Parts: sequence; structure tokens; C-alpha cells
Amino acid sequence: MTTKKKRTPNTERSGWVVIAPDSVTDKNKHGSDPVFLRLRNPSTDGASLYLLGSGDERLYEVKAFEEEFHSWFVGEAVQRDGRLVFVTPMDPLFLILPYLMKSGREGKFQPVDQVVKDEDFPGCSRLLSCSCSFLHIAEEKEVGGLKFHRYSQEKTMNWLKKKVERTAAALKTKNVSVGEGVKSTTYIRIKSESEGREEDYLRYAHGLISEYISEELSKALLKHLGLPELTSPKEAEPPAKKRKLSDKPVEAGEDYTKFNSADFARKPPKKMTAAQKTLAKVDKSGMKSMTSFFSPKSK
Amino acid sequence: MDLGPFEADNTVSCRLSSQIPDICRTEDCCLGIDEAGRGPVLGPMVYGICFCPVSKKQELKDLKVADSKTLTEEERERLFHNLDEAKSYVGWALHVLSPNTISTSMLQRTKYNLNALSHDTAIGLIQYALDSGVQLKEIYVDTVGPAEKYEEKLSQRFPGIEVTVRPKADSLFPVVSAASICAKVARDRVVKGWKFAEDLGDVDADYGSGYPNDPKTKAWLLKYLDPVFGYPQFVRFSWSTAQTLLDSKAVTVHWDDDEEDGEKAAKRLNNKSMLSFFSASARSDDQSRQTHRFFTDRRLRGLSSL
Repeated sequence: MTTKKKRTPNTERSGWVVIAPDSVTDKNKHGSDPVFLRLRNPSTDGASLYLLGSGDERLYEVKAFEEEFHSWFVGEAVQRDGRLVFVTPMDPLFLILPYLMKSGREGKFQPVDQVVKDEDFPGCSRLLSCSCSFLHIAEEKEVGGLKFHRYSQEKTMNWLKKKVERTAAALKTKNVSVGEGVKSTTYIRIKSESEGREEDYLRYAHGLISEYISEELSKALLKHLGLPELTSPKEAEPPAKKRKLSDKPVEAGEDYTKFNSADFARKPPKKMTAAQKTLAKVDKSGMKSMTSFFSPKSK
Repeated sequence: MDLGPFEADNTVSCRLSSQIPDICRTEDCCLGIDEAGRGPVLGPMVYGICFCPVSKKQELKDLKVADSKTLTEEERERLFHNLDEAKSYVGWALHVLSPNTISTSMLQRTKYNLNALSHDTAIGLIQYALDSGVQLKEIYVDTVGPAEKYEEKLSQRFPGIEVTVRPKADSLFPVVSAASICAKVARDRVVKGWKFAEDLGDVDADYGSGYPNDPKTKAWLLKYLDPVFGYPQFVRFSWSTAQTLLDSKAVTVHWDDDEEDGEKAAKRLNNKSMLSFFSASARSDDQSRQTHRFFTDRRLRGLSSL
């Protein structure tokens, strides 16, 4: 460490702390350097950051661990954001799928390089140099040495189903807790229940895969998996606070209460005050009951 | 007095002690407690105990030990020498609380204040004397906080020993004066020869008394303020003098147990106003899809740019 005076002035550093597989910078083969690309996120339809490994051979997604009150000490410097960027391999088909689906509505066989085009994200054509097979999501025709493809819902569903099943298997081996439970902001739940149900794993895996496909596909996939859609308990009408079983006053079995209850029954209906009478006359049709404002919103 | 054990690692606290005189194990003894360096922003706080047989009280008095505050540094050194000469019946022990210990205690998540730290240190030293076989019958303490409460606390902790807690005990009871001299001498020596754990090059050792109102101390604090790390461990970070300087001159650091005022915290946590639940337009369901809990649980999110 040097004294304060010798230290270099405070400059804004634009470094990141990244964890990436070695394959990203694998330069054995000819080709370009790895590059960060902004591409259309199939789930949100907005821009997301991806990374193409050297030679455009493999696709990686970029995610960041971010939590408040974190900073890095990097060598002899402090980095203000305590962000940890993860670069992880990703199947490029997820990004290609929306383009194929869109052109599939026309029902024609087309060459993929004509389909995977995006004015907003011109980089998307580079996805086609990644090694992946369109046969998982499309039918193929070959005419005169040229290949033409057409989106297939059936194939896609089967492909996605396999993804879900594989993910579920991975969740089991990694001991990820998939059950419903109280959410805690400070702890990651680890496997608490000893026997996680098969459906819980599938549903959790479906949720994870849904992060990479459109909402519409996610719903179709849920059906394909044979999982009923969850009806959120929030939407159900809450039960009334007090349930009346009968209009009769509640009686205890003991004898002496009989006397009281008889007394009770004989009571004439309560007289209403003038104010209560006027209130009773008000037209209440179409007005919500007071309690409805305190129950969860029904859609 | 061998300060070696503390100087070997001055980031943690350390106990130094004399030999226990044999007579103290057989005769009823009295013990005095005092501290040095409670107020300074620099350096350690030293707790000292001194003990001797009740029968030797007069001899201790004849050594002319007096309140350390009324003495010059040379006089204190001389008196400490006298005490050392009298080791056939006088024993002492010190607990050096490093400035780092004080900082981390007072600034930790569950705050441990200086009074509690002082009380616990005093109790620890008494226990040390008991464990060493000193036949304690009387304890004299200069007070920290309200005297009655402290006396009650110590009496309960050490039943069977007569505890006397008094303000200014160091000028009333020779055994407390002796303890105060031991503590003061140790602190003076430690501060004078402070070995900085940090690599600061040639440190300017002219830091004055270490008390917050000393201009030399203030100048030194300004000179050695690092914008990122603040101060060397020699400085008590928990002192308001240090904190004020850090707040104004150093980089702001946020901790997750920082206190925030209500509205700011609510905004950060995305809390809704109570009123929003009653308005007709509260129907605004989140249009964007919720990120799966696998990612939110792990604080992972996608990026759109770096």
C-alpha cells in the first residue's frame, strides 16, 4: 500500500468481475474474439445481453448477481458495485425459436437465414453460425442442395418437454428446494422436505424453462406436460369472517341456559334509531360492501 | 513491565501480569481497580488491578502512591518501579484493550458499549486474581457509570467479597492508586511505541495526547485519513471525533444495518402506500412477467448492458 499522496486519483473504473467457462476464450480454432451482443430476449421481447464465444461457435447468456451493500476489492482498487457477472452456456435455439415461430404463421418452408432477421438486433444473424439443429423445432426440406425449414409446434413441444424433464432431473441432483413455502429474503431455501413430489419438480422446471420462451409457449407447454394451471388462491373469494349456522341463538347443553335462551327468544326486535332508519332507506344497489375493500382483488 | 505480548499483535486485547506474591495466597487481600485511556481517540484502554494483603495496607501507603493524574510521567515511572520492588507482597495484572477491540465492539451489529466493555474487563481481572489463588476479601473500584448499580453488579458477581465502588477511588484508596499507576504506565508506554500494523511508511509520531480536544491529535487525524480505509487501527473508529471526520472527508460507505428514515427505507423496499389499497385504480397488475424464483432467490438477473 502506498500513502495517500502517492495514490492515483479517483478514477471511475469500468471493470466487471466475471465468472465464465474457459470455452469462451478458447482460441484453438480460427475465428473472432468473444463478443457481447444485445439480442432479443425470447421471454420479455426486450433487449438482453448475450455473449458469443470465439468463432461465434457457442452462445452464452449473461446474468448478474446483485445485492445491496456489496463492493469489490480488486487488486489495489475498490470497485463500487459488488456485482458478480455469470457467463453460462445457453442453447441458441431458444433465441432462434421466436423468429421461426413468427415466419411459421405463413406456413411456408423458408431458408433460416432469411427468417432470422431483426432490424432492432442486427447481431441475431450471427446466431446461425452456432452449432445447433433446427430439426428440434422445425420440419426440413432439401431442394437442390438448399435447406428450407418450417416451424413445427409439435416438435417444439416435444423438445421443450425434454428440456423440462432434464431440468427437473438436474434440480433433483442439485438438491434445489422446489416446494411451495414461506419466502425468505435472506436465505436461499435448500431442500427442506425430504420427498419432493415429482409434480413440484416438473412445475419448477417448467417455470425455469419459461424464462427462455414466450408466455404463450409457456402456457402451451404446461398443457403439453399435463400440468393443470395453478389457480392462485388469491383470486378465490375469501370466506366470510363469521359463519352463521342458523338464526337461532347458540344454546349450551346445560339446563340453566335454557332459561336464558327462552328469555332471549322472547325479546322483541330491537328498535332502530332515527339515524339508522334513514340509513336503511338509502338505495344501496350497486354499492360494494365495506368488507370487499379489504379482500384481495378479484380480476 | 514486559509489553511484548501486546506488541506482538496489537490488534487484539492482551493480559499482562506480575508474579502472584506467595503471601497473597494465604492472607486476606484487598484489590484495587482503575483504568487509563478511557477518553482518548487514539490507542488502547488499559485496565489494571493491584492487590496486597490487608495487613500490608499501611506499607503500600508508605510507598506514596497517589492518584496517577496528579503525577508527572517520571513520577509515575518511579512509583511503578517502587511497586515492582515491593513484589514480595504487591501483585498486579493489566488488561490492554486494543483500540481495534474497542472499535469493533462498539460498532458491531449488536452494540457493546464502552461501559459494558469496562465492567466486563474489570470482572475478568478480578476473576483472574481469584483463579490465581489470591484470597480476596475487599475490592475497591473507581466507578464507571452510576456507583450504586456498579457496586450491586460486582457484589452479586462476587458474593462474599466486600465491594466498594466510589468516584475518585484512585485518590481515596492507595490500592486503587497503585492500580491506576500500573494502568497509566502501561498505556503511556504502548502509545509511545505504537507499532502500526499498517504499512504507512514513516509515520509522524507526533500525535499529542490522543484526546479529541488536543490540536495535535486533530491535525494527526486529518493527515492520516485515507479516503477508502479511514484510519490505521490505532484510532478508535467508534469515537465521534473519528466518525465526524470520516463522514466529511472519506468516501461514503453504506452498511446494511445503517439506519434509514422511514420514507427512504419504504421506497427502497418498494413498499406501497396504505392509500393505494383503497383507490379504485389499484388494479394495476404487473404487466411484465415475474422472474422465476430460482433467479430471484439467488439475486440473479439478466443484463441488458454492461
